[in-house]
Amino acid sequence: MIKNLNKYHFLLASLLTLIVTAPISAQINLYTHRHYDSDKILFEKFTKETGIKINVIKGSADQLIQRMISEGKNSPADILLTVDAGRLHRAKEAGVLQSINSKTINKNVPSEMRDPDGFWYGLTVRARVIVYAKDRINSNELSTYEDLATAKWKGKIAIRSSGNIYNQSLMASLIEANGSRRALRWAIGVRKNMARAPRGNDRDQVRAVAAGLADIAVVNTYYLGILANSKEKKDRDVFNKVSVFFPNQNNRGTHINISGAGIAKYSKNKSDAIKFIEFLTSAEAQETFGKVNYEYPLFIENNKSDLLKGWGTFKADKQNLSILGIRNSEAVKLFDRADWK
Amino acid sequence: MEIKHVKNELLFKTNSWTFIAILIGLIIFLPISEVFIQLFNTSESWPHLKKTVFSTYLINTIVLTIGTGLLSTLIGVFCAWVIACCEFPLKKFFEWALILPLAIPTYVSAYAYFDILELSNPILIWVRENINLEAMQSLNSFFVYFFTILVLSSVLYPYIYLLARASFLKQGNQLIEAGLSLGHNINEIFWKIALPMARPAVFAGLSLVIMETLNDYGAVKHFGIPTFTSGIFRTWLGMGDMSGALKLAAYLMLLILILLLIEKKARSRARYHENSGSNKPFKKIILSRKKSIITITLCSIPFLFGFLIPVFRLSLWAFISQDAIRSISILSLVKNSLFLSVAVSLLTVVLALLLVFSAKYFQSKLTSFTNRFAILGYSVPGAVIAMGILLLSAQINKIYVDIILSGSLLILIFAFITRFFAVAWQPIDSGMERNCKNINDASRSLGIPAIFSLIKVNIPLIKNTLITASILVFIDSMKELPLTLILRPFNFNTLSTATFDLSSQAQIVESSVPALCIIMIVAIPLISLNLKGKSKLQ
Repeated sequence: MIKNLNKYHFLLASLLTLIVTAPISAQINLYTHRHYDSDKILFEKFTKETGIKINVIKGSADQLIQRMISEGKNSPADILLTVDAGRLHRAKEAGVLQSINSKTINKNVPSEMRDPDGFWYGLTVRARVIVYAKDRINSNELSTYEDLATAKWKGKIAIRSSGNIYNQSLMASLIEANGSRRALRWAIGVRKNMARAPRGNDRDQVRAVAAGLADIAVVNTYYLGILANSKEKKDRDVFNKVSVFFPNQNNRGTHINISGAGIAKYSKNKSDAIKFIEFLTSAEAQETFGKVNYEYPLFIENNKSDLLKGWGTFKADKQNLSILGIRNSEAVKLFDRADWK
Repeated sequence: MEIKHVKNELLFKTNSWTFIAILIGLIIFLPISEVFIQLFNTSESWPHLKKTVFSTYLINTIVLTIGTGLLSTLIGVFCAWVIACCEFPLKKFFEWALILPLAIPTYVSAYAYFDILELSNPILIWVRENINLEAMQSLNSFFVYFFTILVLSSVLYPYIYLLARASFLKQGNQLIEAGLSLGHNINEIFWKIALPMARPAVFAGLSLVIMETLNDYGAVKHFGIPTFTSGIFRTWLGMGDMSGALKLAAYLMLLILILLLIEKKARSRARYHENSGSNKPFKKIILSRKKSIITITLCSIPFLFGFLIPVFRLSLWAFISQDAIRSISILSLVKNSLFLSVAVSLLTVVLALLLVFSAKYFQSKLTSFTNRFAILGYSVPGAVIAMGILLLSAQINKIYVDIILSGSLLILIFAFITRFFAVAWQPIDSGMERNCKNINDASRSLGIPAIFSLIKVNIPLIKNTLITASILVFIDSMKELPLTLILRPFNFNTLSTATFDLSSQAQIVESSVPALCIIMIVAIPLISLNLKGKSKLQ
């Protein structure tokens, strides 16, 4: 009986080993929030250059982080890729990332765009800008994010829901810059100035401006690129009716956010994963992000996309982006208190 | 249910059938119980949530649920009645056309309608210019609620239409003839005989509509209405507070539990025993010309809003994004979606049949009770079930080596069963209640083995219900999104995740291709379901 049992155990064990170790060729497993063509192109290029295959699971960052937590030591993930610094910070806090130290990456990524402890690194940059109706607003009427809360904009602002991470990160940066009391007052002021209750994504805010429902909107540069290059003429018309303004140029700079990556704590292919991040931060890959996906490169001045160049250079807020994560839940709570839907 | 009853049942009435049924019911309930336990857990942000947003979530959820429930019932019952009992031109067309909106997931419908709301812009601007800003903002809010309820109802009413129509057809015209011969007019017959008789079916349909409404995340997110479900996501994703989100989810489930108990109470007060349906051809009420025109117009509205307009727009988008079709590996998406949905639908129906039968045949109160728990999954947002499963697998991982738990197809299928158990359970339960009650009472008293009774009597009697149930589960599985998003294994994509991936990378136009595939695949069983129902019931 015991002999049989042992035999059975042996069989089971070898079967499990087979399942677990079956793939032998080099590969890395990627958990990603990004679903862009630029990434697909870059993944293929990387595989071609190195022979390392990339397996992808897409999902929202928090769901992926949750998944990594519950998978624990058995997590197949090697890399986590998200579109917001706050999420990367949260992944670090949750203990699903590990610190790395690569000279190449440290050279490729400006220090404010990576975790001080080396748990995550920025890959691309987006700026949260003010978009205004060319025919109704003069750019010298605009100045700062703080100004949006003043009464002169009553009924004129289109901005999306506070459930959105880009707004939460903007709020986090305002808390950091002005303190939470003033940030709350700001949120209440902007809420009172809204042309309509928030709905839709960033592009829909631009559409509201183009339609005349609002005069200005707060949006991410990346979405303007999508509108400008849309297959639908209607979208391109929307884009042509508006202009871009970079706020806070005379003080701390325009709020930016990154899309970035970190190595999973229990990664079984760490060195290949580091290679992959080195590749994504290389000059070549940085150019692809800009051209295919309208994102700024890590060194904003290196930007080669014609569309982005057209808006001119700007001064970015140099605050270390980990602050967006540290202040995130406070930001959400202040939004709730301001009754910003 | 009192402890004494439970003890008595466990000691004296449990047999292998009810034992297995109770066990399966509890296993299906397991991921949900993980969430339920959170009611008693503390969460850091709970006081904040309660103070600021809880009441907003509650009010919006109730407004949407009532609005969608009422509108869906109105549309569903009206259409079911005229199709089942009246004769008018184009009736054959509407008979199946009215089911088609069921093929469209709420998030796809919301996409198709999102920029239609922009059409209201000129009106809004006019109001702002000629009245004032506040009036515009109120009107805007009204439009948002109105359109959301419209979008949800226009794709959810078929649940009520299908079940009510089957019930009207089954009633046969003996009752109508009896009513007529007693001097009632057709209006009175509808209100006094047909509708009360169809009440269990309407309620079953309505509870499906309500649960779908509570589950929806895509549409409410797009229209910017903060409900319980979007609050759950916001607390989880926005504040990174999973326990706060789970606590909200637990309260949502409490609400559902109360609703279900009320419904059960309402239904048990009046029990309907019928002889198996009349097989005589149904004599229809022939509508006058004027009434026909009105009926056709009224039937066109849900078909137009729920199906034709969204499909037309999606097709237009698919046409201008033909090159995208090549870059999406549509065939493997179709294969994955089909495999998943078929597996889930078969397993769910078999399990639901077993559980309903065990509860009814042995009149096991305990099994009925655990069944009520097993069906809670349908009222829980897919993402929350996924959270429950993640919690569960984290706990099991502590004890065993993880091999299959997270990120395997098996766990995805299990999650689907938890999620959609109610979809199969509801029709099977009401079907067995209507058709098998008397016969089961008799065969039990004659001492006929349960397995014999199940296979030879119950299954043939409710064959159509079983087919309906499996089709409904299939449809829901094809359309399901959040569960699959969270729990899908590596490199495993379905039509719904591809639709989501594309639309969230701002390629709504390209996402029309997989979205249309879902609609087409779901439309086929829908139409066949309709034909089957017709040949059997007419």
